[in-house]
Amino acid sequence: MSASRLRPALGVAFMAVVFGLLVGYPLVELVRAAAEEGWSAIGEALSSGGTAGAVGNTLLVGGAVTVLSVGIATGAALITERAARPGWMRLGMLLPLVIPPFVSALGWAEAYGPAGLVDDWLGVSLPGLFGGFGVVIVITVNAAPLAYLVIAAGLASRTDPDFERAARASGASAIVAFRTVTLPLLRPAVVSAAGIVFVVAVNSFGVPVLLGSPAGFGTMTTHIYRDLALSADPVAFTRVLSLAAGLVVLTLIVVASSDTASWLRGIAVRPGSPQGSAVRSGVARSAMGSLAVYVTLTSLVPLLALLLTALTKAVGLPRTPSNWTLGNFREALDGAGAAFTNSLLLATAAALLAVVLGGAVAALGRRWQGMGTGVVLTFAVPGSALAVAVLLAYGNPFRDTLTIILIAYLAKFWALGHRPIAGSLDNVPPDLYRAARASGASPLTMLRTITVPLLLPAVVAGLVMVFLFAFHELTMSVLLYGPGSETLAVVILNLRQLGDVTVTAAMAVTLTGVVLAAAAILVAVRRVWVR
Amino acid sequence: MSTPALSVSRLEVHYGSTRILHDVSVEVGPGEAVAVLGPSGSGKTTLLYAVAGFVSPSAGTIRLDGAAVADSAFSLPPERRAVGMVFQNYALWPHLPALEIVAYPLRRGGMGRLEARREAARLLDLVGVADLAHRKPAEMSGGQQQRIGLARALARRPQLYLFDEPTAHLDSALRAALQQELVERRRASGAAALYATHDAAEALAVADRVLLLRDGRVIQLGTPNEIYERPADLWSARLTGPAWSVPGVVADGFLEVLGVTMPVDEGVPGGSVDVVIRPDWIVPGVGVSATVTGAWYRGSHTDYRLETGDGPVEMRRVGPVEWRIGERVEVRVERAWPVPSST
Repeated sequence: MSASRLRPALGVAFMAVVFGLLVGYPLVELVRAAAEEGWSAIGEALSSGGTAGAVGNTLLVGGAVTVLSVGIATGAALITERAARPGWMRLGMLLPLVIPPFVSALGWAEAYGPAGLVDDWLGVSLPGLFGGFGVVIVITVNAAPLAYLVIAAGLASRTDPDFERAARASGASAIVAFRTVTLPLLRPAVVSAAGIVFVVAVNSFGVPVLLGSPAGFGTMTTHIYRDLALSADPVAFTRVLSLAAGLVVLTLIVVASSDTASWLRGIAVRPGSPQGSAVRSGVARSAMGSLAVYVTLTSLVPLLALLLTALTKAVGLPRTPSNWTLGNFREALDGAGAAFTNSLLLATAAALLAVVLGGAVAALGRRWQGMGTGVVLTFAVPGSALAVAVLLAYGNPFRDTLTIILIAYLAKFWALGHRPIAGSLDNVPPDLYRAARASGASPLTMLRTITVPLLLPAVVAGLVMVFLFAFHELTMSVLLYGPGSETLAVVILNLRQLGDVTVTAAMAVTLTGVVLAAAAILVAVRRVWVR
Repeated sequence: MSTPALSVSRLEVHYGSTRILHDVSVEVGPGEAVAVLGPSGSGKTTLLYAVAGFVSPSAGTIRLDGAAVADSAFSLPPERRAVGMVFQNYALWPHLPALEIVAYPLRRGGMGRLEARREAARLLDLVGVADLAHRKPAEMSGGQQQRIGLARALARRPQLYLFDEPTAHLDSALRAALQQELVERRRASGAAALYATHDAAEALAVADRVLLLRDGRVIQLGTPNEIYERPADLWSARLTGPAWSVPGVVADGFLEVLGVTMPVDEGVPGGSVDVVIRPDWIVPGVGVSATVTGAWYRGSHTDYRLETGDGPVEMRRVGPVEWRIGERVEVRVERAWPVPSST
């Protein structure tokens, strides 16, 4: 074997070892530990501590969120892709994607909960916000954008406005054309979107722990947290293992049956033809109006409420300028300075490493596709389960350190560093490389002058995406942190559970500010480079 | 006179604040085919979309068989207009096999499932792709897909066909065959057609009349021969075939160009003009002496580039290369067409 063929083979082997250490070994440890307990112990554990109810609640939340999100997303995609396509509309629809779910939950509590903003102004609050109803609503708001991305991409790439025109020219009314042409073409996208949303809903921890737990509404993820972080009972640990393994199995079944993996890989909204409109402008206007109302009520009002709470001196005071103060922010910075540094460090390290690892997998992708699939699938593994698996594998010697949190972040967010680069590599027509070589460029010159400049936007996108998700990560961090390795999200959750509403609001606003700034960079990068 | 199959009068179409079509009027008689010829962005597709009902006019009227289907106030939805459309990108629904695609308009017309399939099979056979009945579009070549697209339009049994650059995505051998199929099927059906294309040879070959569009305005409307021999201006001349221009002078009903004098139509104003000369309008003979600056052998004929002293022209001769580059040759203009001077 010549050296030029040996090197890629070594690369594949090296990446296989890295993948095995980060993902394979922990998951195997989890399954092994669960199996060691034996069926009878698992059965006993599951029938204790309200666990069966938590499993039921999880499935209930997953089902309800899926139905609601897919409905909302389909409607929104039809509005933005067919009726009217202003850019702010899409951004508005995607806004919840960059608001950390637990911040969303805090915002909803401040906006629509008892003594919330709407209660202040109009004297009403949303009944059942604390409990299963609120959990479903807020997760839906957070998950709908993902479904929207998939369905809008499906609408743009799988259906051509000409398909609908051909149906109309064949004698079909608008409704018949939608039923016989648009909907059947969209079905694979809808199924995938449903799969993704279900996985996200089942994964969700921040929302149920903030809105469900206070009302006694537990899910699998909140039970893992309760039993692992707040209990030393051996039966509780068996419950943790069973629930974590169960979550992994549940997720993998859904992902496999809905072909979600191929869609996770394909997420990229491609704009359709600009003349796509067959909808009358009156209909378009009212549809856009309802979308604007939806975005305002679900994202903007909760964020505003959270900001006002963060500015108000104490809980219970009217949120008016006379009661405003910056004291909460000062206190937040004092109390969470170290955690802020930890989050910044972890997110930066995770972003850099995930992009390097992701780029490596993308570069090897043509030789070994399975690796990319494995990386993407790991993203779907619930954070609660992944954290338990990492704890089992590396708890000794890394328990309670930043290192173990970083390992979990890398395993989970590897896909976010991988996908943009792999997608960008796939999208570069090979003729561009051939043209460079035919123009006299050596392989290295080609890499420097053609490949890297073409990949740069994807690298930046990957960096920002990983940073964004790692910076507000709560689910895994709360299971893995120890004294001195708290992240900002962990401090917010702990402080909130102690009841300090105004200071947690200030912390949440600060965290959201950083995340939004990162997201703004991402949008700017797309604008400048992709056009 | 019988009612025109299509009558478009003073049509204006806007996308947002951009005006795409401006004051477009055209009538298509029963059984007549009118080609809409123009470069990309000239408004061809928009004109077809307005007739089909995909865009609404901001002014003007569209009538099908004498009945108004659209004006600035109302627009009949596409499914209620008797038109059959063939799309540039075929627009075959990827989730259906060919038989179901062709049966689709029949089903919408209220035909039973079995009967619609029988009729669809007959139409597939008619356009020569009966063997593809159970394949989906992804498993077909472009030429096969467009035959299915044609069969779908035929199934609608319309009064008017709309062809939106139906052969643009096909390579040249397939293009000729499909073009022939479109013309024959359309003629046999007896229906009229509006045929958008950016290819002059195609427009001249398939149509009874040609409509020249530029920036959403009608530049010229006439028979293919009129369009070719009597272009409205230099731009039209170049759009409709190879054309060169040299300076000339019109005086007392005669045109002087490249050493010859020939009569011109009444009403052509006197003075300096640009004179359109097509390669088949110039022959070897006594007139003007020119130098051969290029020669392209094209199999059935050879094109020569000639420098006349008044500017370059091209001459087309049947057969292989007779004159070499640099040779001097005496040529005579047999036909010429003066257009308003562009300077």
